[in-house]
Amino acid sequence: MSFCSLGQTKHTISGTVTDGSSNETLIGVNVYIPELQKGAITNSYGFYSITLEEGNYVLLIQFLGYKSQSIPVELNKNVSISIQLQEDTEELEAVVISADKESNSIRSPQMSVNTLTSGTVKQIPAVLGEPDLVKAITFLPGVTNAGEGSSGFNVRGGSADQNLILLDEAILYNSSHLFGLFSVFNPDAIKDLKLFKGGIPARYGGRLSSVLDIYQKDGNSKSHQLNGGVGLVSSKLLVEGPLKQNLGSYLLAGRGTYAHLFLPLVDNKNIAYFYDLNTKLSYQFGEKDNLLASGYFGRDVFSLDDSFRNVYGNAVFNMRWNHLFSDKLFSNLSMIYSDYYYGLRLDFIEFNWKSGIQNFNLKYDFKHYLTNDLTLQYGLNSIYHSFNPGIIEPSTPESSINYDELTKKYAIENAVYFEATKNLSTNLALNIGLRWSHFTRLGQTELNYYANDQAVLFNDTFQIYQKATPIGVRSYKKSDVLASFNNLEPRFSASYLINDLSSVKLSYNRMSQYLHLLSNTSSPTPLDVWTPSGPFIKPQLLDQYAIGYATQTSNGNYSIEIESYFKSVKNRIDYIDGANLVANNAIEQVILNGRARAYGVELLLKKNLGRLNGWLAYTYSISEQQTPGRNASETGINGGKWYRTAYDKTHDFSAIAQFKYNKKWTFNANFVIQTGQPVNYPNAQYEYNGLSIANYGERNSFRLPSYHRLDLSASLNPRKNLGRKWQGEWIFGIYNVYGRKNAVSIAFRDNIETGNNEAVKTSLFGMVPSISYNFKF
Amino acid sequence: MLKHFLLLCGLTLIFSCEEVIDLEVPNSEPRLVIEASINWFEGTLGNEQEIKLSLTAPYFNSDIPPANGAQVSIINPDGSVIEFFEVNQTGRYVTGQFNPQLGATYILQITYLGEVYEATEVMQSVTPIDYVLHEQSGGFSGDEFEVKAFYTDPVGLGNAYLFEFVQYNPYNLTLRVFEDQFIDGNQTFAYFSDEDLALGDQITINNYGLSEQAYDYLFLLSLQSSNPGGGPFTTQPATVRGNCYNTTNPEKYPFGYFRLSQAHSVAYTID
Repeated sequence: MSFCSLGQTKHTISGTVTDGSSNETLIGVNVYIPELQKGAITNSYGFYSITLEEGNYVLLIQFLGYKSQSIPVELNKNVSISIQLQEDTEELEAVVISADKESNSIRSPQMSVNTLTSGTVKQIPAVLGEPDLVKAITFLPGVTNAGEGSSGFNVRGGSADQNLILLDEAILYNSSHLFGLFSVFNPDAIKDLKLFKGGIPARYGGRLSSVLDIYQKDGNSKSHQLNGGVGLVSSKLLVEGPLKQNLGSYLLAGRGTYAHLFLPLVDNKNIAYFYDLNTKLSYQFGEKDNLLASGYFGRDVFSLDDSFRNVYGNAVFNMRWNHLFSDKLFSNLSMIYSDYYYGLRLDFIEFNWKSGIQNFNLKYDFKHYLTNDLTLQYGLNSIYHSFNPGIIEPSTPESSINYDELTKKYAIENAVYFEATKNLSTNLALNIGLRWSHFTRLGQTELNYYANDQAVLFNDTFQIYQKATPIGVRSYKKSDVLASFNNLEPRFSASYLINDLSSVKLSYNRMSQYLHLLSNTSSPTPLDVWTPSGPFIKPQLLDQYAIGYATQTSNGNYSIEIESYFKSVKNRIDYIDGANLVANNAIEQVILNGRARAYGVELLLKKNLGRLNGWLAYTYSISEQQTPGRNASETGINGGKWYRTAYDKTHDFSAIAQFKYNKKWTFNANFVIQTGQPVNYPNAQYEYNGLSIANYGERNSFRLPSYHRLDLSASLNPRKNLGRKWQGEWIFGIYNVYGRKNAVSIAFRDNIETGNNEAVKTSLFGMVPSISYNFKF
Repeated sequence: MLKHFLLLCGLTLIFSCEEVIDLEVPNSEPRLVIEASINWFEGTLGNEQEIKLSLTAPYFNSDIPPANGAQVSIINPDGSVIEFFEVNQTGRYVTGQFNPQLGATYILQITYLGEVYEATEVMQSVTPIDYVLHEQSGGFSGDEFEVKAFYTDPVGLGNAYLFEFVQYNPYNLTLRVFEDQFIDGNQTFAYFSDEDLALGDQITINNYGLSEQAYDYLFLLSLQSSNPGGGPFTTQPATVRGNCYNTTNPEKYPFGYFRLSQAHSVAYTID
C-alpha cells in the first residue's frame, strides 16, 4: 500500500443501488463524494464499492430519471449501504445533474461506448410500432446495417458476425426475427444495454467489432406487476413479482406476432410469425450471495401452404451466482447454455434440414475495488462449442433423399484476462488489460486433406480460383486436436481531463475471433452456419486504434463526443467467385483468408435534459476488404484489389428527438439519411442456352440511391391514469412519413414479355402507420 | 439455388413494392460468347451439330450481335478435325460430320478476329427419363401444374443433370440442373411448374448428362440470371467462366461453355 495512507485508516463503503419501487438493481449509477471529487459507478449487478480514509462524508447518489439522494456517512469502519432510488415522476421539470467532473462519460478511460436504457429504446418510433433494440442502436454513430430488412448490425465497418451479443452474459448467435424486420430482444424485459465499439476492455473477447452487453430485468421483488401491450403486429405480456419480499423475484415475459399479418395478399394457408419468451429468477441469500437464473427462448416460423416450413431461433439458459468475497471483491460465476437451431422442411422435394450450434460456457469474473484509484478485474472463460452444419433427412418414406450428415465440428475456447483501472492523477485515468485466448479445434469423423494443404486451387489458364479435390479423408477421435491457436490480446485506454468538463481519450485494442459465420450475402441470413477456426480457417485478428474528445456544458444538458478510429483485420474470410455455401461439407474449398480495414470519424451531439431531448449523430467512414493472391501468379479475389464491404456507408446521419409537450402527450421523431448500400451493376449481357446473363465487373463498385426516412410517434398518457392502478398508454406512430421509396435492391432481369432487359427497384416499406396500447397493472 | 428460393420467399412475404427504373450502367468491351452444346439425341446418329457464337452487348440493348466469320472446328480423340460452317451470317455454325463417342475427349477450336479460342471436354452419357407425371399442386399458389420427370440416378456420387423444359405457346425454355449429392442411387425427379401451363399443353423435356465442371458452370449461371443487385440477400455476383479460353490473349477471355452429351427427349401432354 502507498505511503500516503500511513497514519490514516481506510474503510470501505459498499452496497447495491436499486429502484425504490421494484427493487430492480440499477446499472451505472454514480455514487459520489463531492468534497473529495471521488466516486464509483455501480456495476452490472448494481454493486459499488468505495474505499476512503476515516472521516465524515456525504454520499451523493445520482442517476438520470431518478431523484438524487444525499446520505451522510460516519466512516469509522467498513459499512454496507444499500440505496434505493425513487423514480423522478416530475418529468416536466429538468432533472439537473450537478456539474461535476466525475460525470462518468467524461472522466472514465472507457471510450467508444454507448448506453441506452429500455426506456430510450421504447421511445424511438419503429416500423409497425414495434420498439426495436437493434434498430435503436443503428441511430448511434458508427452503427449501421446493410439496409432495410437486413439482419444484424454493423459496427465501425465490421461485419455482423463480429458483434459479441450478450444477453445476461450468454452469447446469442442470431439477433433478428423475420429476416431482420425485428430484433430478438423484448424491450419490456430489458433493463439496460451497453454497446462497446472500441477500447473494448479485456473482460470481453471472442468477437472483433463490438460488444452489445444486454441485461434483462430481474423482476420486481416488492410487488406483483403485470404489464403488456397490444400492437398491430404483436402483443406482449410481462409478469413480475416477489418470490420473497425484497429478497427474491421472478419475471416472465412473452411476445408474439400475429401469424397472418405479413401475408395480406397471399392466401391464408401461409404463416409467418415469431415469438419469444424471457424468464428470470433472482434470489438473495444473506448479505453476500445472490443467485440469478435467466432464460430466453425465441423462434421464427414460416410456412408456405404446408409445402415448406421453416423454424429457427435461439435458446439460452443461464445460472449466475454473485458472491461478495469481501466488501471490495465482487464475483460472478456464470454457467450458460446457448443454442441456435435452424430447421427446414421442403415437402415438394420431401426433404428435412436441421442445423445449429450449441455451446456450454463457464465464466468466473472478479471485480476487485482495491483502492479508490485502482480497480482490478480478472477472470476466466471457457466455452465448449458443438457445431451441426446440417443434417439432411427424407421427410416421407417415399422420398428420394438419402439421410446425410455434414461433418459435425467441435471446439473449446478458453480465455483468461486481467484488467486494471487506475487513476494516475486527478486528470489522468488508465485502463490497461490483457486477455489470453486459446482455441482448440477438436477431432471430427472426417477431415479432407489436400495436396500441399491447398483446398483452393488457382487455375492459371482461366485465371480463377477453383475447388481442389481432396487426396484423402482422415478420421479423428473427439479427443484429438486438429489445430490450436492462441493469442495475446492487449487492451489499453486512457483519458486525460483537460478541464472539469472536457477530456481527451485514447485507446487500442487487439481482439481475436475464432468463430466465423459463413455468409456471402450482404447481410446474414438464418440459414448461414457458424464454423470454427481449424486446419483451413485461421482466427481473425483485429487491431483498433481510436482517439476521442468529449465535452459537456456545465449543467450537463449538452454533450459532444467526437471520435476517430482505424481498424485492420487479418484473416477475414472471403469467398471465391461462385462459392456455394449451402450444405457444403468442404467449405475450405471455397474460401480464402483475406483482410479488411475500416476507418472513420464519429460525432455525437446530445441534449440530455429538459422537455426536448435527443441526439444528432454523424459518421463518415470507409469499410473495405481485400484478398490478394497467395503468391505472385495468383490474381486474388476481385483481382486482388480492395473493395467496399456491403455495409460500407460513407455518410450516415441520424437525429432522434423527444418532446414532452405536457403530462399527457409526448412526441418523438427520428430522421436518418445515409449513403446507399454498395451494389453491383452489370457491365454487359449475353445469351447462353436461352438464358439472358448479366455480367458484372469489380465487386461493389456501385451504390443504391441514398437512403432517407423520417418517423414520428406520439404517446398519449391519459389523465384518468392518475391515481389508479391500471396505467394505460397509447402510442401512435408513422414510419417513413413522406413515403420515400428507399431501394433495398435493384435487380436486373430479362422481361419475358418485351424480351428486353430492365432494372427493377424494390422498396420495402412505404408510409406505415401504427397504433399500440401498453398497460401496466 | 435453395437458399435463393428461401430468401425470396422471405422477402416476398413482406409487403414490398417493385418498379422499373432508368439506370445508367457501365459498358465493357465486347467479348466472344461460345454456346457449343453438342447433343447426341437418342435415335439419331449425332452427326448434325450446331455451335452458336455471339458477342456480349451493353446491358440494356435489345439485340445480341452474332459473331460472324469465325473458323470453328472440333478435334476428335483421334486427332482428326471436323469443320463447322456458318449459316448466312447468323453466328450459327453447323456440321453434318460429327461422330459422337461416349467418354471420349474432344477439343473445340475457334479462330475469331485473329485470336484463337480453345476448350476441352469429355462426352457425357445420360440417364434416361423413366416416366413423367403432373400434379396440380405447384407454384406459390399451390394450384399450378407441376411436371415431374422421374429418373434413376446410378449408384456412386458424381452424376449431374441438365433438364430443359420447353413450352410452345408461348415459347419458353426453362433450365434445371441437378446433382446427386443427396439422392445418390435413388429414383428421383426433376420438377417444373409455370403459371401458364394449362390442360392440353404439350411440353418437351430434354435431359442431358453434365460433367462436374459443367454442372458448376450452369448452376452459377442460373443463379446469376436471377440474382438481384443489392439488397440483404445478394451474393457477390461473379464473372462466370466456362471451360473456354483465349490462347492468343488470355485477358480477352470468352464466355460460354463447350459441352458434349448424350441426350434424351420426352414429349409430354398435360391431360
